[in-house]
Amino acid sequence: MTLSRRHFLAVGGSAAAAATGLTGCGSRSSLGSSNELSMWTWVGSVNDGLISQAEKAIPGYDGMKLSMTRIGSNYKTKVLTALAGKSLVPDIVAINDDVATYFPNADQFYDLNELGAKDLADDFLPWKWKLGITQQNKMMAYPMDTGPTALFYRTDTFQKAGIDIDPAAVAELAPDWDTYIALGKKVKQAVPGSSITDNITGIYGYRMAQQSKRYMTADGQYIGDQDHVREAFDLSVRVVKEGLSANAQNSTDKNAVVTNGKLVAYNAAVWWAQLGPKNAAPKTKGLWRVTAAPGGAGNKGGSFLAITKYCKNPKAAFAFISWLESAKNQAQAFLDPVLFPSTPATYTDKTLAAPDPFFGGQQIVDVFAESAKKYPGAYFSPYDTIIDTPISSELVNVEASGKNPDQAWADAQRQVERELTRAGAI
Amino acid sequence: MSIERLRTAVGHIVLMFGVLVSIFPFYWMLVMASNTTPDIFSYPPKLLVGSHLFENMGKVLDNINFFGSMLLTLVASLGVTVLVLFFDSLAAFAFAKYDFPGRNVLFAILLATFMIPTQLSLVPQFVTLAEFGWIGSLKALIIPGAANAFGIFWMRQYARGAIPDELISAAKVDGAGFFRQYLTVGLPVLRPGLAFLGIFTFINVWNDYLWPLIVMTDPNRLTLQVALDQLNGIYGTDYSMVMAGALMSVIPLIGVFLIGARSFIADLAAGAMKF
Amino acid sequence: MAVTSKAVPATVSATAAAGDKPPNKYRQALPQYTAVAPFFILFAIFGAFPVLFSIWISFHSWDGIGQMKWVGLEQYHYLLTDATFWKTIGNTLIIWVLSTVPMLLLALVIANALHNATRLRTFYRIAYFIPNVTSVVAITLVFGSIFSNNFGLLNAFLQSIGLGQIEWLTQPWGIKIAIATIVTWRWVGYNAIIYLAGLQAISQDVYEAAKVDGASTRQTFWRITVPMMRPVILFTAVTSTIGGLQIFTESRVLFGDTSNIGGPGDAGLTIVSYLYQSAFIKNQFGYGAAVGWALFILIVLFSIINWRLIGGNDDERVTRRAARRVERKIAAQNAKREAADVH
Repeated sequence: MTLSRRHFLAVGGSAAAAATGLTGCGSRSSLGSSNELSMWTWVGSVNDGLISQAEKAIPGYDGMKLSMTRIGSNYKTKVLTALAGKSLVPDIVAINDDVATYFPNADQFYDLNELGAKDLADDFLPWKWKLGITQQNKMMAYPMDTGPTALFYRTDTFQKAGIDIDPAAVAELAPDWDTYIALGKKVKQAVPGSSITDNITGIYGYRMAQQSKRYMTADGQYIGDQDHVREAFDLSVRVVKEGLSANAQNSTDKNAVVTNGKLVAYNAAVWWAQLGPKNAAPKTKGLWRVTAAPGGAGNKGGSFLAITKYCKNPKAAFAFISWLESAKNQAQAFLDPVLFPSTPATYTDKTLAAPDPFFGGQQIVDVFAESAKKYPGAYFSPYDTIIDTPISSELVNVEASGKNPDQAWADAQRQVERELTRAGAI
Repeated sequence: MSIERLRTAVGHIVLMFGVLVSIFPFYWMLVMASNTTPDIFSYPPKLLVGSHLFENMGKVLDNINFFGSMLLTLVASLGVTVLVLFFDSLAAFAFAKYDFPGRNVLFAILLATFMIPTQLSLVPQFVTLAEFGWIGSLKALIIPGAANAFGIFWMRQYARGAIPDELISAAKVDGAGFFRQYLTVGLPVLRPGLAFLGIFTFINVWNDYLWPLIVMTDPNRLTLQVALDQLNGIYGTDYSMVMAGALMSVIPLIGVFLIGARSFIADLAAGAMKF
Repeated sequence: MAVTSKAVPATVSATAAAGDKPPNKYRQALPQYTAVAPFFILFAIFGAFPVLFSIWISFHSWDGIGQMKWVGLEQYHYLLTDATFWKTIGNTLIIWVLSTVPMLLLALVIANALHNATRLRTFYRIAYFIPNVTSVVAITLVFGSIFSNNFGLLNAFLQSIGLGQIEWLTQPWGIKIAIATIVTWRWVGYNAIIYLAGLQAISQDVYEAAKVDGASTRQTFWRITVPMMRPVILFTAVTSTIGGLQIFTESRVLFGDTSNIGGPGDAGLTIVSYLYQSAFIKNQFGYGAAVGWALFILIVLFSIINWRLIGGNDDERVTRRAARRVERKIAAQNAKREAADVH
């Protein structure tokens, strides 16, 4: 490759641009005024109290303040388009658990180790900390929360089915997926229409979240066609065939099945407490409990913060993110909007042990802390999204249009192979 | 005679029914914008205008920078319109009324550009503007569309018939140069054509969605169409509020249209006949 | 205006220039070149250059941010073997047919009724044109609520007259019908106005002659109106085709809250949505550029087909012959009438 893109642009573009005086000396700065750090995130990812404090002045750094924007749909698209657009890029961006998909573009972000992250590593869960570091040992993203999983269930419906609603008893009744499906069938018999997932990918995603490996090995081997994935795939199909999925495929319907009580149990991550029942069904306050998830500890979601290379003041930005994610402030974020800390020191914080009236006064932190402690951690590759997308959409085909599962699996694998070949991964 | 009358009556009934279909979505928008979201989601649905319109409009103003977006859209639309009117009419005047070497070749090239769909260059245009550092700024909305083949073609057709050669000859005899001839002879005669092209351009830029969706990356500086889409994306659960936003975004443009509607429609039809 | 005083020096200077050296016709045309230059300069930067650049991009694998990687024709190979791509072409064509056919037929009916109406003409025309100036985003939100599975007006109506509900926005055909309805609603009036202009351009004498000839309304319509309207119909067909192949906003707004902007099963994914999804959601700029070329080829192809079907040289001759026949008839009729008047 002798001609680079820049070269091509230089040859063609600058000649034309020079002719009109439209020379490319546009702004290369970040978004916001000079004393403002701009930050993008999505709804329900931060504690509002802490943000409004930083919007007045960033604690520990004089003369700078925060300006946060919540992006509605297609968050990642907006961030990547802004990076491709090269101007008005925010100083700080939140990144979801697909952080590894940003690694090929790690040069767009500051190495947080150079800004002082190194000294804080011991405060965080080691597996979480590692997820934000590229293979070239660059610290691209700083841990926010984690997403330990547990079983959420509706006590009122369980009682109707004659099930002991004590969390310990439920955990004992359904230690693995087989017993959990049996439990679901029992509830459904007593209360018709009951479901244990909103849709097929709900089971698949949370089963995958319990595994110690995902789609690729750290040295770039594709393992998404192996038994651990096929097992999760078959399990999801089984739940659908047993009639235990609510077939809710879009966000409106997903909220609806929580609101109308169809979803009686859900093996989900901690942040679902807020985005699910607390938001969609405030009237069910007191009716929910959580307990250890069938099939073992898991983790899904949990975010990161990164500082873009456009940042006007990286030192201030780092001061802000390390303040926001300190053990003390992560305790705040647990109370609202139920984000589980990535700092173990927080787990013993007294504020976390407060009984949650929404869960009938249960101390839910114990359940999630247990899950977080037992979670083995798994390697996320930069290609996980492009692998996961075809598998998930084929699963939807199985549920929504009754596609043959073996055919769906074969089609998914073929599509994955196409995508990985194109991406140059295999 | 009575058959003739009957036929007229049937014609009017057909036309009136069509008018109802044309207008109904606006009425429905108003119904939804003036009721509460639970009312909209209930069955049977509310069919009459409710009393929550201003409440819902207030919520729109609280949630998005509506007037900021409107101002931005207005500036972009006016900016493109003014530039298009100037550049297109100037070029059309030259093409229609002067013979210069290469004129026909240039005009043929201009016509050929019609065939290129704008989406073909969506990706490379974005990359080019990114290199210019224009992404997110008004320049990205205004400059690429500042002159267009359609406008020049349309204005040329108009100018050929509307500007008498004698007037230009007289101006030449007067010693007026080309640009003076454009100002004193061309522009005054072209004014009705400019009115049409202006409204046409303004409406198109105002309603454009794909391009601003891509280039306006700053969530606090969106055009009205993209802001409306964002409003739906973030607060989709409050549908009556989203509808109030839709209503507010539609009203100004219909106002602009109604001012010049009569001659605009006639010009549009006349233009289509010349193709 | 001072007509006389300036005229003389101008002529003098012109001859003086001619005397010094032979007049350069290019230099003389400098003002005209300047006048047409803005378009060509802007087109060079924002039209021609991007087109060339898009060929270059389509030979690469590139996410728009990092390094470009040369892959040759790999993107095109992927495109042609991509089931989703072929599906988007199918979707686009189905939506195009579902919208264009009823749209042009209804437009013809309305134009005919408008042509015959003597009262309320301006009112009708404005009322029919308003949908066309309304923003697609706003109106798609309205239609989205009309077609909604859970609280839609259409389903409420179907239910109230005893018919079952239809899951418009999750079923493949429901999605396409919903999108086609929005397109039709926005463009019927526009096309009707243009047809009306076409109708008005047909000389009234032709109809008079046909009437005297004893032609029925239907005969008049198919034998006179339609052939005379060919150029206008061609115009609307071409513009509807180009517009139809570029449908994007409707499906993007209807299903925009997820990364799957084509709706369940990609049933509403059009070519342009696919281009947008590839380039800006999946960040495959190289592939997006290749999809752009596929779209270009498709538009050229369909323009040619349209031209052949409705316009074209042969057909034009047919139209002209029909017109001549009518003219002869008129002449004959007039002669007859004159003869009758004499008697």
